[in-house]
Amino acid sequence: MIPLEYYLVLAALIFTVGAVGFLVRRNLLVQLMCLELMLNAVNVTLVAFNRFRQDDHAGQVFAFFVIAVAAAEAAVGLAIVMALYRLRRSVRSDEADLLKN
Amino acid sequence: MQALSALFPPNEFSLIAVILGLPALGAFVNGVFGKRLGKEGVRLMALAAVVGSFLASIVAFLMLRSSEQTQFTWTAWHWLDLSTRNGLGRAPVDVAFMIDRLNSVMMLVITGVGSLIHLYASSYMWDDTRADGGYHRFFAYLNLFVFSMLVLVLGSSLPILFVGWEGVGLCSYLLIGFWYSDNANASAGKKAFIANRIGDFGLLVAMALLVVYTGALDWTGINMGSGGLIEPVKIWPLGRGIPEDSFIPAVVRGFLNTEVNVTAATLVALMLFLGAAGKSAQLPLYVWLPDAMAGPTPVSALIHAATMVTAGIYLICRLSGVFLLSPPAMAVVAVIGLLTALLAASIGLVQNDIKKVLAYSTVSQLGYMFLGVGVGAFTAGFFHVFTHAFFKACLFLGAGSVIHAMHVGIHDTNASQDMRHMGGMRKWMPITHVTFLVSCLAIAGIFPFAGFFSKDEILLHAFGNKIVPPMGSGWQAPDWFGPMLYVGGLAGATMTAFYMFRAYFLTFWGDFRGWKVNPALAAHGHDHHGHDDHHGHDDHHGHDDHHGEYVHDPNREAPAPHESPWQMTIPLAVLGFLAVVAGFFNATMFQHFGLDLTFLHHWLEPVFRGAEYSVKVREGVDLHKLELVFGGIGFAIGCLGIGIAYFVYMMKNGEPTRVLAERFPRLYRLLSDKWRVDELYEATVIGQVDALADSANKFDKWVVDGVLAKLTSAVVAGFGVVLRAAQTGMVHAYAFFMVVGLGAMGWYFTKPHPVLEVRDAGPGKVVLEASAGLGYEYKWHSKDPETPDEDVWSLRRSIEIDAPKDGETKRVRLQVKNAFSRKAIVELEIPTLAAKGGERTSAIQGGNLR
Repeated sequence: MIPLEYYLVLAALIFTVGAVGFLVRRNLLVQLMCLELMLNAVNVTLVAFNRFRQDDHAGQVFAFFVIAVAAAEAAVGLAIVMALYRLRRSVRSDEADLLKN
Repeated sequence: MQALSALFPPNEFSLIAVILGLPALGAFVNGVFGKRLGKEGVRLMALAAVVGSFLASIVAFLMLRSSEQTQFTWTAWHWLDLSTRNGLGRAPVDVAFMIDRLNSVMMLVITGVGSLIHLYASSYMWDDTRADGGYHRFFAYLNLFVFSMLVLVLGSSLPILFVGWEGVGLCSYLLIGFWYSDNANASAGKKAFIANRIGDFGLLVAMALLVVYTGALDWTGINMGSGGLIEPVKIWPLGRGIPEDSFIPAVVRGFLNTEVNVTAATLVALMLFLGAAGKSAQLPLYVWLPDAMAGPTPVSALIHAATMVTAGIYLICRLSGVFLLSPPAMAVVAVIGLLTALLAASIGLVQNDIKKVLAYSTVSQLGYMFLGVGVGAFTAGFFHVFTHAFFKACLFLGAGSVIHAMHVGIHDTNASQDMRHMGGMRKWMPITHVTFLVSCLAIAGIFPFAGFFSKDEILLHAFGNKIVPPMGSGWQAPDWFGPMLYVGGLAGATMTAFYMFRAYFLTFWGDFRGWKVNPALAAHGHDHHGHDDHHGHDDHHGHDDHHGEYVHDPNREAPAPHESPWQMTIPLAVLGFLAVVAGFFNATMFQHFGLDLTFLHHWLEPVFRGAEYSVKVREGVDLHKLELVFGGIGFAIGCLGIGIAYFVYMMKNGEPTRVLAERFPRLYRLLSDKWRVDELYEATVIGQVDALADSANKFDKWVVDGVLAKLTSAVVAGFGVVLRAAQTGMVHAYAFFMVVGLGAMGWYFTKPHPVLEVRDAGPGKVVLEASAGLGYEYKWHSKDPETPDEDVWSLRRSIEIDAPKDGETKRVRLQVKNAFSRKAIVELEIPTLAAKGGERTSAIQGGNLR
């Protein structure tokens, strides 16, 4: 059996890739994908922890919830990206600063 | 009559609704639709409403006369329930009205005199241009006044009376300031309103006290519960007084802590009297009534002479049972009444404005009424209300008629009312002259005119009456009290006769001093507009000339003044006639000649029956014998006053007054400045209130606006300026902060942060409890800090151990390990019970020793 630490390190790596990607990229579509990466990294930890607690399924159930929320988030997020594109002719996140100050 | 009785049974006497409803309807129609109705329509509506109410009142009065019942009641609806003392009982307050022997007379006077004055005003105000849309507004107010006044007298409980009381106050305010474009009129209205509010405060307090001590607010309930009013009440010191250990010296403290006890009846009666003094213009609140003459003259006649100002006397008569329980309060009423009568009469001596003379005369006569009720002569006091309503209304309307005539040549408001510009008016105004003369005779107390009988009865009882305290013990007025009141009353009566005939002679006799009469000019404009031709002049010149300084020029030419139209002379004639005959409603002295002319006395007997127990005749005084003697003295005093006035103003042409004024210039100025009471109030009460208002204004400006509002908003705005820099609108920036925050939280949770608490658990035992956390495991060192109790990590969050002995402390240590296998150590000193002096509870935040 693969030890828990392996899963956790993998998840941490994926999460870091997602977080850094979210921070450094300016294309909203890429940023949404980075978001998915972070969510899935968390899913990996949830499922992995659950694997080591046989009598409890809360982690797996929670992972399903995360997937459902991620689907909803992707739908809403893409809709926002569409709206932004129509407004600005661009999907660059640093041009979406209407709420500043 | 029987059909009527079937229609209106005594306990469901809905005729009251008609009496009340018609003036209310008139006020509503005139107020809302008055502009569209036109002047004719307004006049018809207003007159119909009041005359209809008068006719209904007559029917009600006749029914009451022939009925065996002493009162008719009508309950409109249930209003509210008040809980009485300690919440034990309930005092229901209904919107209920009743007609009994006392207020039926008032009701007739209000609607009867009211009808006459409405008729008079319908002509007087016809061409008024001083206030826009004035005619319907005037009659809306006047009808509303009649309605409110009827509510006041017909209400069967104090709260309903209070509704009417406030209603007449409102109408009074509106009508005094009727010509509101003139600042002086508006402020006169305001003054009346504010002075009345001070009185109303007293009335409200009295109501609260009555609920507490009698448990009721309706007339029958108050009378039934009046036994509770004998209870003594501590009115000083407030609360428990000044405590023993205060810094105030013992002597002063002892003085300030002296207990003052009065009976509840005294308290209630004095508070009621404060209300009465406000409404009925008694010391110290009389100052508004002379200023109230700024209103149109019919208003002065109806509201400020005949009806509203007598509400105070009505109130005292109505609650005579309460007043009689308190001889001190009765004495206060009598003395204040006498002082007011004398003060106002002395001011009236030197006034030149004819309406001001009448105003001070009204204050003075109201003082007589209070003197009457204050000595327990309720019938006499009420009788004076009755006669005064006729002759004073007649005097005011006569003065209005003269002023109207003066407007032919003088358009300045003040100058047209100045008696120095009048004179010889009897040539042109025969009806006004005769009615004015008759009323002057009546007020001067000349036999057999109305005022003679009523004033005489008051003075007689002032001399002979004494008020016996309830249960025979308590304060009682000394023996010299009655004679003192009598002598003061006589002095006032002399002055009354003098100043009234001064006004009469100055106005109607001698040479005309207004302008040069040119009969050729008189033809202009006559007979073109019928009755109101004389108003035509006002139209051309406008009433508002008085804004400029008026300079009197007796050589200017103008047409002759002339008699007023029939709408004005008929009320004068009717009121003049009543001023002659009204005295015979209660001419008690005719009993000496075998004539029983004491209708009012018999009529009111059931109302004041309870007074027999408290109002006695002083020992050694035979009122019956004295009656004729005192009548003669009163007559002589009246003649004396008239004689002096005749001597001064007819024979010497006013010369003696000029001599006196020169010899005593300060006294003269004091009198013509009205004893400078207004100035005194200005300097004391009003000045203080203004200062208070000023400081409140400053507080509002600097503290509320400055510190509380502006400073807090500036602080918030400052934070905003700083925090706005962080609000970039860039998603990455927010995401970056989130990542930083996430990192900080991760750092925090990788280390354990235990909290250890100790608390008592039964005798000799304490419980130690550690906080829970992510994967925390514990090792307890409860016996020896260096070595653990068991050398394994366990999940036991709390342990129970022996408490340290008294005077000792105990040290425990706890090791905590979290999910990341990082450890922390907490040490806690369990304090001794004796040192803490109570319960042992303490907590320590975990510190990392390792």
